[in-house]
Amino acid sequence: MEKSCSLLVHFDKGTPALANEIKEALEGNDAGAKIEALKKAIMLLLNGETIPQLFITIIRYVLPSEDHTVQKLLLLYLEIIDKTDSRGKVLPEMILICQNLRNNLQHPNEYIRGVTLRFLCRLNESEIIEPLIPSILSNLEHRHPFVRRNAVLAVMSVYKLPQGEQLLDSAPEIVEKFLSSEQDPSSKRNAFLMLFSCAQDRAINYLFTNIDRINDWGEQLQMIVLELIRKVCRTNKGEKGKYIKIIISLLTAPSTAVIYECASTLVSLSSAPTAIRAAASTYCQLLLSQSDNNVKLIVLDRLNELKSSNREIMVEMVMDVLRALSSPNLDIRRKTIDIALELITPRNIDEVVLMLKKEVVKTQNGEQEKNGEYRQMLVQAIHSCAVKFPEVASTVVHLLMDFLGDTNVASAMDVVIFVREIIETNPKLRISIITRLLDTFYQIRAARVCSCALWIIGEYCLSLSEVESGIATIKQCLGDLPFYTVSEEGEGGQDASRTTQQVNSTTVSSRRPAILADGTYATQSAALETAMSPPTLVQGPLSSVGNLRSLILSGDFFLGAVVACTLTKLVLRLEEVQTSKVEVNKATSQALLIMVSMLQLGQSSVLPHPIDNDSHDRIVLCIRLLCNTGDEIRKIWLQSCRQSFVKMLADKQRRETEEIKAKAQISNAQPDDLIDFYHLKSRKGMSQLELEDEVQDDLKRATGEFTKDADDANKLNRILQLTGFSDPVYAEAYVTVHHYDIVLDVTVINRTKETLQNLCLELATMGDLKLVERLQNYTLAPESSKQIKANIKVSSTETGVIFGNIVYETSSNVLERTVIVLNDIHIDIMDYISPASCADVAFRTMWAEFEWENKVYLSHLSLI
Amino acid sequence: MVVLAASILHKSGKVLVSRQFVDMTRMRIEGLLAAFPKLIGTGKQHTYVETENVRYVYQPMEALYLLLITNKQSNILEDLDTLRILSKLVPEYSDYFEESICKCAFDLIFAFDEVISLGHKENVTVAQVKQYCEMESHEEKLHRQMREDKIREAKDEMKRKANEIDKNKIIKNRGDNYKGGFGPLQSMGSGIFENSFNDTSISSSGTGSRLSSDVDSFSTKSKARPTSAATAPPKGLGMTLGKSKRTNQFLESLKAEGEVIVEDVRPTLGKSQAAAPPPTDPITLTVEEKLNVTLKRDGGVSNFDVQGSLCLQILNQEDGHVQVQVQTGENQGVSFKTHPNMNKELFANENILGLRDANRPFPTGQSGDAGIGLLKWRMQSTDEKMVPLIINCWPSSSGNQTYVNIEYEASSMFDLQNVVISVPLPALREAPSVNQIDGEWRYDPRNSILEWSVILIDNSNRSGSLEFVVPQADSSSFFPIAVRFMATNTFSNLKVTNIIPVKGGNPPKFSQRTQLITENYQVV
Repeated sequence: MEKSCSLLVHFDKGTPALANEIKEALEGNDAGAKIEALKKAIMLLLNGETIPQLFITIIRYVLPSEDHTVQKLLLLYLEIIDKTDSRGKVLPEMILICQNLRNNLQHPNEYIRGVTLRFLCRLNESEIIEPLIPSILSNLEHRHPFVRRNAVLAVMSVYKLPQGEQLLDSAPEIVEKFLSSEQDPSSKRNAFLMLFSCAQDRAINYLFTNIDRINDWGEQLQMIVLELIRKVCRTNKGEKGKYIKIIISLLTAPSTAVIYECASTLVSLSSAPTAIRAAASTYCQLLLSQSDNNVKLIVLDRLNELKSSNREIMVEMVMDVLRALSSPNLDIRRKTIDIALELITPRNIDEVVLMLKKEVVKTQNGEQEKNGEYRQMLVQAIHSCAVKFPEVASTVVHLLMDFLGDTNVASAMDVVIFVREIIETNPKLRISIITRLLDTFYQIRAARVCSCALWIIGEYCLSLSEVESGIATIKQCLGDLPFYTVSEEGEGGQDASRTTQQVNSTTVSSRRPAILADGTYATQSAALETAMSPPTLVQGPLSSVGNLRSLILSGDFFLGAVVACTLTKLVLRLEEVQTSKVEVNKATSQALLIMVSMLQLGQSSVLPHPIDNDSHDRIVLCIRLLCNTGDEIRKIWLQSCRQSFVKMLADKQRRETEEIKAKAQISNAQPDDLIDFYHLKSRKGMSQLELEDEVQDDLKRATGEFTKDADDANKLNRILQLTGFSDPVYAEAYVTVHHYDIVLDVTVINRTKETLQNLCLELATMGDLKLVERLQNYTLAPESSKQIKANIKVSSTETGVIFGNIVYETSSNVLERTVIVLNDIHIDIMDYISPASCADVAFRTMWAEFEWENKVYLSHLSLI
Repeated sequence: MVVLAASILHKSGKVLVSRQFVDMTRMRIEGLLAAFPKLIGTGKQHTYVETENVRYVYQPMEALYLLLITNKQSNILEDLDTLRILSKLVPEYSDYFEESICKCAFDLIFAFDEVISLGHKENVTVAQVKQYCEMESHEEKLHRQMREDKIREAKDEMKRKANEIDKNKIIKNRGDNYKGGFGPLQSMGSGIFENSFNDTSISSSGTGSRLSSDVDSFSTKSKARPTSAATAPPKGLGMTLGKSKRTNQFLESLKAEGEVIVEDVRPTLGKSQAAAPPPTDPITLTVEEKLNVTLKRDGGVSNFDVQGSLCLQILNQEDGHVQVQVQTGENQGVSFKTHPNMNKELFANENILGLRDANRPFPTGQSGDAGIGLLKWRMQSTDEKMVPLIINCWPSSSGNQTYVNIEYEASSMFDLQNVVISVPLPALREAPSVNQIDGEWRYDPRNSILEWSVILIDNSNRSGSLEFVVPQADSSSFFPIAVRFMATNTFSNLKVTNIIPVKGGNPPKFSQRTQLITENYQVV
């Protein structure tokens, strides 16, 4: 077992204190200097120095000091020094401190007594503690509660020592007596804690004899009671009944912490609907009453756990959960919505959607920063509701369509995708959606939303009137043709110069390169980029004329191509539904005129850059098609497109159901799974059943006592030979890489017939690695071996090299040190990387945000 | 519900202070703390992060983070409470800069310790934590004061006893040709006392106060250390005082400390152990005067003060109804004061001391103390003629040696008994060589004091001298010279002439003791 570390203090290596300076100050009479020196000594110790010569000085000159700070620092010092030798025996000089400790335990100053008792809690050496026990016990009767509460803790930790039961076999009895007469709430808590962890029966006994007063107990004590109940019920399931009542009565406690604890205890004790319901409603209450975001989030986590274990009860609570949406914090809202979405059933869907709709409407009024994002979240939530329960779509889709013209592109995009899906899956809604879409089309501001809406129009305008109004809407949005006249050309020249200037200025402030979804760079001209940001040229028209016109005038020819395609589709459909040939021809010619003027615009000099080839080709294709229609083409344009969309939706659905299925499978244990018995289990490895004793294991995992061992086979892959077979010392190392540390497990074998003394493994590192502590010296008998563990801290995940020597003296020649150079250990960046899965969208955003190029900033001055 | 650690980190990730409340390896805690800065994202409105195994609850404080590491099952409400208290505590000790945090690291650790014990939150307020850390203990102050008081009290007590014993002895042994070495108890100087104080307080296991255990052990020490003198004072002392054993030991130990007075008494104690039975006379009257004199080394009196008292001790109840007829001397400088219960007029007119309420008897008792005080008086003067003993000290250097001549001159008013003149010497390796002396001398190497003692100064030796040689030393190192003596007549010349029984009958037998002792007699 490695030594535990009780404190860390930042140590500035720049000014190392010398041991003899410290010694001098310690020997002096000045209390201030003594304090400083003692602090320095502690820091040196923490930094891995061992200053054994100071110990005697401290015993002689610091122990008798009357100064309180000196005494407290002394306790810290004693806390961190090695109290045992290499074989685990207590050093003989430690007996000296014993006497000082006892004096402190009888000190008239209650605080000195208290801190000394607290120090004893951290002491593991029973040899030192043994003579102090009478003094500890006498402190249980001290007048001051500060002393008593620490005394109880000291008794507890003494009793918990490996030999504790022999040292203090009457401890539970004493503490029980103490508890019955104690008034101070903190001492009471500690006493109960002692009984709880050392003599459970007595704790239960006390609990039941004082059950009437439980509501008057201090908050801290109530917490321990709950912990006790949990522990008892884990080991003895049958006794649950006795305790539920206590918990219920504690649910009305004034302290929210206790209430929270009650709820989690209830959940862990019982799966009865009433209990779960009580717990869930308690959580919901806390969710509303607590203003702290942290609390809300963690309570939501608890609710989430409840949801996965007791879904049917949580379904009833969904509206209570949703009330947490009143918090302005986005994380909370997201978590709330996530939980709620998984709880919707046909019975509560209406309520939930109503609530969500209300929230959406609220976002329109308030001028809050994150409204856009929140709205997007809500839209997505409504979307998934509608996917699960198509019948609600009708109630929401119209409301949502108001947001097509939202300035927040992301939420508008979500809306339009939602509409696209609903119109396909809900044929009944088609007509109303199309009418509505045509009505609101002019409001759409964003090009991406526009193109999606145009696709819907092109695809789902089926009846004559729909097709006609569709064409009319597009025409209206495009405004009068042509897009520019010759008279504008003259002004256009000026504009062009203006815009080129603009181009210059914007290209200077270079934006990050565009990256395509597959991760490759997109080729793009700097000019195109500026077109994305609305230039001043079209600012005027944007507000007055239709949205399509302004977008196209700003140079978005891709949208132009979409417009062309939509028109083509509409005209093709018109041919089918319109009996009058004249009307069809009229519509065709109008469409052709629009396309041609778009091409003209693309080739004119009004815009800073011409039309790109793709869009040009597409528009030209549309023109050709309208001039020369055929059945084959018609089928492709009018049917295949829709079919592939349907296929995509089906595919998405299938993927989702598969995911759910996979999830459902994971939680089940395999029929041939191993069953673990808690009492028989080894400390290594964890399995599902062991998780039952969550609290204990939770703590152990947190302190690092449990480490999941990887496969032994894997371990063998990382064996590195450090020295040669013919070297006098053979060494090899297992290298284990954790997140932020590397553990070298070095096996050293003496291959000679001589005893090697002061054998030392000296390691040094390159890169962002740091050796945690200096390694000890060892003496190796002939042909014996030794395991040495070295910890290395990693400050960033980069490649690094660990190198070093083995240094030793032979018994025949003590003065000469022999050095064996070790093989370098290369730490590869791949060692830190482990595969994980990540959502598509999340990946793309991360990909887009990643700094792909190392920027080199140049100072203008240096160039001149 | 366990806090694993409370730490303060710099935003750069540097760990400034961390206090762990459960056992964990350094590797582990450093790993956890190193991971933390990488886990906190920006723009979040909550201040906790969870990892697979632990939860971090933190609070930004300018360029720092205050951080609690808890297990994941921990009660967040309680942890936030803890964090809140800690965040209020930090500015009490330091401001939010790296340097000052480093400087106050230990104060912060102490404060953290008060808020969290063994990972569990304590129910404390900021003010309480501050109070706990200041460690201002009323009890300790009380204890200290009590110890001082006890020492003082015991000293007083001892003085009084010593005087009484002395008186007894002188009364009983008047005329005895007294001889005796000066007790070696003095060798138990303060040095030993202090040593034993430390040693014994450690080894004693009792639950009583430290002081009493000290005293216990002192007594054992003093027995264990054989004294070179022929006389063994402690035994007799116990008997005479007739007090509980504990007080005895207490006194003993204190005597060793308050050596000046003790030495005076010591020789007489040895003799008196057989000869100082409890008073047998039914009525005992004690006239005592204490001298406080400070003489200047080059002549003149800087302080001369006499305090006198008349005490009455009555053994039996039936003798309680008495009045005391006294006779005062001619000394004009003395002013008398009676006990408030006394009949003042009676004293002023007839020099009779009687209770104001004639029906009440005087309290009686056989207790060891001197009885009840009836009368007090005081006299002050700057007249050199009044001083009973004048000391002249003449140190003179010649070569690398210093010759010291000391001379005393006693006034003819008194016959002085047991005169001891203690001359402090510079630290010497061996005893000084005494060339000439009227009387006896003794050197106490531990305290570096030469004691010149004259058993009796009467008309045959009103003046005397001493000459000794020491290695060269500053003349001021021979001062202050302390003098002790006693005499059987007093400045006031007050005498009890008769005891008058109030209720008639024969005047009871009474004995009278008169003595003059030095309390503080110095040449500075």
